[in-house]
Amino acid sequence: MRKILESKATTRKRLATLPISEKVKLLEQLRDRALAIANSPLKRRQVHPG
Amino acid sequence: MKATLEVINQMQADGVIGQYAIGGAVGATFYLEPVATLDIDVFVSLQKAPGSALVSLAPIYGYLTARGFKVEQEYIVIGGWPVQFLPPGNALIEEALNQAVETEVEGVRTRVMTAEHLAAIALQTGRAKDAARLLQFIESGTLDADKLDGILRRHGLVAKWEQFGDKFRSNE
Repeated sequence: MRKILESKATTRKRLATLPISEKVKLLEQLRDRALAIANSPLKRRQVHPG
Repeated sequence: MKATLEVINQMQADGVIGQYAIGGAVGATFYLEPVATLDIDVFVSLQKAPGSALVSLAPIYGYLTARGFKVEQEYIVIGGWPVQFLPPGNALIEEALNQAVETEVEGVRTRVMTAEHLAAIALQTGRAKDAARLLQFIESGTLDADKLDGILRRHGLVAKWEQFGDKFRSNE
């Protein structure tokens, strides 16, 4: 578990130090993914549990 | 995002908006790792409408819709990004807008709130996602402690900061 947490922290640090142009590309990818998840049938089922 | 910022800069050059600064999750991304967000929060200084004590976003909407940009709920989609234009709602945000730093994104100049102001606004706003952002700022070590302390004191946030610290420490 400690190794996993350290690895995550390292990744976060690496991402934080990227140039802003690279971060913007990641932001756009993250936004597209968030929209895809928001539009998934599973998400709709959660919203209307019936 | 380059196209988005170019349009916002043109709005400023055309006098539709005054000074502006990017805040919210996109603003935080200038200092932290990127996090998923659907929109860009752009804080803008606006002139009060003649004969009114209120500021109006109508000139922004009028300018952009006349140029074919689409309004979606409280956003206007510019360059593929939903943009929310927000007048500063309190003294902290006003100060954050005034003291924002100039930078560039893909060769386009823009202004972004400082890390300390973004952290203080997250503390003040206090939603779950704001707490998460504030923790990210703290963990990243990007905050200037003296600068943040001054902001917290000026805007009556010291007690809230201490409460946040207590809560954070109790969850460790």
